[in-house]
Amino acid sequence: MPTLPIPPLHLIVLLPVTVAAFGFFLPRRLFHIVLLVTHAVMVVSAVAVFAEVRWGSQLVEVVAGWPDGIGIRLVADRYSAPMLLLATTFAAATFLFSTRASYMDNTFLFVFMLIETGILGTFLSADVFNVYVLFELMMLAISILIMYKRDQQSVYDAMLYLMMNFIGMAFMLLGIGYLYRTTGVLDFWLLQERLAELSDPRAVVIPYALIMTAVAMKSALFPLFGWLPRAHGAPSAPSIVSAILSGVQVKVGVYLLVRLQWTFMPAIDASGFFAVLGFVTATVGFLLAIAQKDIKLILAYHTVSQVGLIVMGLHGGSDLAFWGGMYHMINHAFFKGLLFLTAGIIIEEYGVRSYDKIRGVLRRMPAVGVAALAGVLGITGAPFFNGSISKYFIQEGLQGNLWELAIYVVNLGTLLSFVKYSTILFGRPEIGEAKQEQPAERPSRDPFVNGISLIIGAVCFAGGIFGGPAVALVFGPEYTATGAYSAEKIVAFLVMLVLAVAAYFGLVRRVDGVLAAVRRHKFSFNQVTVFLTGFFLALLAYGYVTV
Amino acid sequence: MEIIGTLDVSDLAVAVFFIGLYGAMTQRNMVKTIMSIGIMDLAAITFLMLANYAPGARPPIEGAAERMTDPVSQALMITAIVIGVSVTAMCLAMFMRIAYRYGTGEWDILIRRKED
Repeated sequence: MPTLPIPPLHLIVLLPVTVAAFGFFLPRRLFHIVLLVTHAVMVVSAVAVFAEVRWGSQLVEVVAGWPDGIGIRLVADRYSAPMLLLATTFAAATFLFSTRASYMDNTFLFVFMLIETGILGTFLSADVFNVYVLFELMMLAISILIMYKRDQQSVYDAMLYLMMNFIGMAFMLLGIGYLYRTTGVLDFWLLQERLAELSDPRAVVIPYALIMTAVAMKSALFPLFGWLPRAHGAPSAPSIVSAILSGVQVKVGVYLLVRLQWTFMPAIDASGFFAVLGFVTATVGFLLAIAQKDIKLILAYHTVSQVGLIVMGLHGGSDLAFWGGMYHMINHAFFKGLLFLTAGIIIEEYGVRSYDKIRGVLRRMPAVGVAALAGVLGITGAPFFNGSISKYFIQEGLQGNLWELAIYVVNLGTLLSFVKYSTILFGRPEIGEAKQEQPAERPSRDPFVNGISLIIGAVCFAGGIFGGPAVALVFGPEYTATGAYSAEKIVAFLVMLVLAVAAYFGLVRRVDGVLAAVRRHKFSFNQVTVFLTGFFLALLAYGYVTV
Repeated sequence: MEIIGTLDVSDLAVAVFFIGLYGAMTQRNMVKTIMSIGIMDLAAITFLMLANYAPGARPPIEGAAERMTDPVSQALMITAIVIGVSVTAMCLAMFMRIAYRYGTGEWDILIRRKED
């Protein structure tokens, strides 16, 4: 096959922010064109890097030509290259999706590109301190985007988000200090070597607990997910922000959770801890999702649940479940990104956010409705959609113990919350207050919106039909996914669907008082800090008991 | 009390870090919580600055000396200080907006007023 020239890795990271910084002063139309070209360049470079890593060898680059061990290392290997490809394509798709939206002014785009830099940099970075800096960069950029439309509620959300993450980052910084004092290096691979030589592995329990607390917070594990719905479901953030945060940015945390676990593997292994925590996160996530009324919040809490499932797969201890988890990360980016994008359009069209006020999306906006339906089928793991393949891998990998039951619980919960979500798609559209003033300007007529939603929907479907080959193509290991299409799986799905519908109409709708209480309950900042400290102490105790 | 003799400035930095954490857990005033987190951040920076410190070492600025302090941690901490300042400034700016809008600087009162 023809080989593409491989761009230096640091250029891929620096390109978005550099272009955005200079393009900021251009007129808006020109800036859009420049960014379109930039996105195209980034996707092509990511493809080149991916192809080289997949069929050639992994790419390692020490920034600014310093010798190994002194400079900061950027690495594209078989785990980070697919993520790089995912992040660039996803960013390009969301950018195209909203080219005609009114909020795409220069400031917004600048901050958006800043997040993109942060995401790409963290995936490629192989240095703990570099990761810290990029986390801080993303944190600031995201808090600006949360309050982008400047209503007062969102300033509170943004402030809480920023302060919670600031504490987490302080933990990480102290952890880095301990780690540096103990080992003298900050590079992932060098750390791994030094940790293997440590005479007393207990010396790294404290830095491990400190750093992992911060990373667990970034990946929204129980009980540290309080910031996620605020950021991802923020009423004032445009839907492409929600899409990129839920689709890619939260995966940065999950990815690092695994990467750092490998780095610390010679000294300490808390995979079991994280796998159990993944299950708890998944369960609590869907329970809270069922309680929500705002459609964006349903989706945001659902991201928490899916992150839990991914963490379960990645830390479950089997190869099959691991690759299932990796594939689910990619799938989740597509279907959750799609759901957020369509939810934004639906909210714009109807002018309301509550699920019980929206009806008949399929009739009023057929293209968006069909795309949203594809997203729902994907996320619930309906047969022949991408979610079914990755969930099947995770389930097969964890077979033969309580884990399988746990997966069924999570699947049922997912279905239940999406039965609730899907009620907006069916029925007869009511004539709302937000009736179309200027029919030509309606977002559902925008060809970019319809086109991109349908394409992502098609990707969800293709990811299911070609499940096994897709995993082999993207990651390498060959697994057959034929079991996912077997009759018993389809029957099992239908049974679960019936159960979920019955449970929704028979049970969930009758306990509205409880749900309202759950919805209204808010933890104050002090309580969240107590949770963070508790998590740190639990991890510390786990470390001291097992090492 | 032999243990006190074995403590050094790094341990003090860790103690300050947890004092800051205690403040973040207990203070109801928003400015005080921002200050607490600032203290945590600075304590972590102090700790990293002192990593691999040897008595009598001089900063690695120019010339040669028998003992130099570790330049890596100092270079890293310049970045961390800048980040800490900007994040604190951002927190304070947000606090200003919230305080103007709701007329309070307490977390609990703010949550109650937001519901009305």
